[in-house]
Amino acid sequence: MKRILCTILTLACSVVLTACGASSTSSEAVTYGFLDETLGTENYAIGFRLGDEELAETVSAAVKALVKNGTYASIAENYPDIKDYLSLSPEDISDDEIAQPGSGDPNYTFKHGFDLDYPPYSYLNDAGEVGGFDVEMAQAVCEYLGWKYEPVPFNWDFKDAELNAGSCDCIWSGFTKEGREDMYTWGITYSTNTQMIMVASNSGIKTLADLAGKTVGVQISTSAADMLEGDRADLAATFNELKVYETYTVAFNDLKAGAIDAIAIDVTAGSYLIANENKQ
Amino acid sequence: MTLSTMFLTMLPGMLRTIAIFVLTLVFSLPLGMVVMMLRKSRIGIVQILTKIFIAVMRGTPLMLQLLVWYFGPYYLFRMPIGGYRFTAIILGFSLNYAAYFAEIYRAGIEAIPVGQYEAADVLGYSKAQTFFKIILPQVIKTILPAVTNEVITLVKDTSLAFALAYSEVFSIAKQISSSQTSFMPFLIAGVFYFVANYAVAFGMEAVEQMFKYYD
Repeated sequence: MKRILCTILTLACSVVLTACGASSTSSEAVTYGFLDETLGTENYAIGFRLGDEELAETVSAAVKALVKNGTYASIAENYPDIKDYLSLSPEDISDDEIAQPGSGDPNYTFKHGFDLDYPPYSYLNDAGEVGGFDVEMAQAVCEYLGWKYEPVPFNWDFKDAELNAGSCDCIWSGFTKEGREDMYTWGITYSTNTQMIMVASNSGIKTLADLAGKTVGVQISTSAADMLEGDRADLAATFNELKVYETYTVAFNDLKAGAIDAIAIDVTAGSYLIANENKQ
Repeated sequence: MTLSTMFLTMLPGMLRTIAIFVLTLVFSLPLGMVVMMLRKSRIGIVQILTKIFIAVMRGTPLMLQLLVWYFGPYYLFRMPIGGYRFTAIILGFSLNYAAYFAEIYRAGIEAIPVGQYEAADVLGYSKAQTFFKIILPQVIKTILPAVTNEVITLVKDTSLAFALAYSEVFSIAKQISSSQTSFMPFLIAGVFYFVANYAVAFGMEAVEQMFKYYD
């Protein structure tokens, strides 16, 4: 009896596995894109504990040095989805603003706090390793200054508790500065991001006004979510429902399945989802 | 990411899940015995304090307790909490499960008829002998199914460690799922939990058979 049960369960498992494999490879004519109208634009910067001015300045000066010597641009080459949104260029930086190589305390360990759920800024890459633009930049800063690097992936919902309790020294993970100006000591702003609406090509939605009566998905505690609950609450009020998801992956699956009509998302994160969808 | 890379990336997470599971059992099973004894203490204040402990442990979400154990030292005493993550997780899980085990043990002990104690007394057994030779074997027999339930719940509860960003199998599944926009990692995690629980159920059934010497 036990052997029969075991066989049935194994079969069930393999059927589910193949079914999943099949559904992700089947290609449909539907494509995904963004509306021309945007929700707004925000800046990404490095957040430090209030009062950590010295650390913020040191890290910012090191980032400027990496912009100047081309490291910033070469790391950006690995992340085509965000390349166009990076806001620093070597011409804007004068030589007296930049940190000197090896000027950091070699015994200092820089604890980089980030969310491992936020591609392409910080995530588990194709090789299954901790990676992303922000992670590579933080590692490069440590290498440049001569610091030791320690990754501290945290749960985004508890980022402030982690930072205040000292388990990390900064929040550097596609971190929006707008609306949080007084809550952190801010380091350099290195990227801009635009919050947009992603829809399927066959949805018939062309403008923000078309979203009236539609169901729109968003990931919890993202800039797009903050915006629709704050400055653009007027727009959200026209929706049938604003569905808040734990991750954009689930929201995107719901969009593909037709359970929701649109997703409000950062253009970089959205481009990443679309690029990944086209890859499969 | 190929399926094998996905699996290999999740493998350390599986080992961390097993580490939480094993360490929690190692600490909570004996600790539950202590809590049960305090709960049955004849000293009123000890009994009341233990009742409050059990009520709090069972009455609040385990995730909340994990947050308190991890962030508490900083918010209460301003202590830096750098490398304390894993300790906090084991502390939180062990105390929580000890409260549940204590009540299971108590149910087992209170199920033993008073006649057993009387008979042992008549036969000249000392108190310690009565407990270890007469009562305890019967208690273990009675509580095994309830303990199995709790142990299986523990396997699945280990995923709550994601709140403290401990990269056990479920956290990694979530991260891979975001970066690959795929549900496959969750399926792998699901199969892992199922296999682990099947092994637990199988092991516990074997233990139950061992105790069926009168049937």
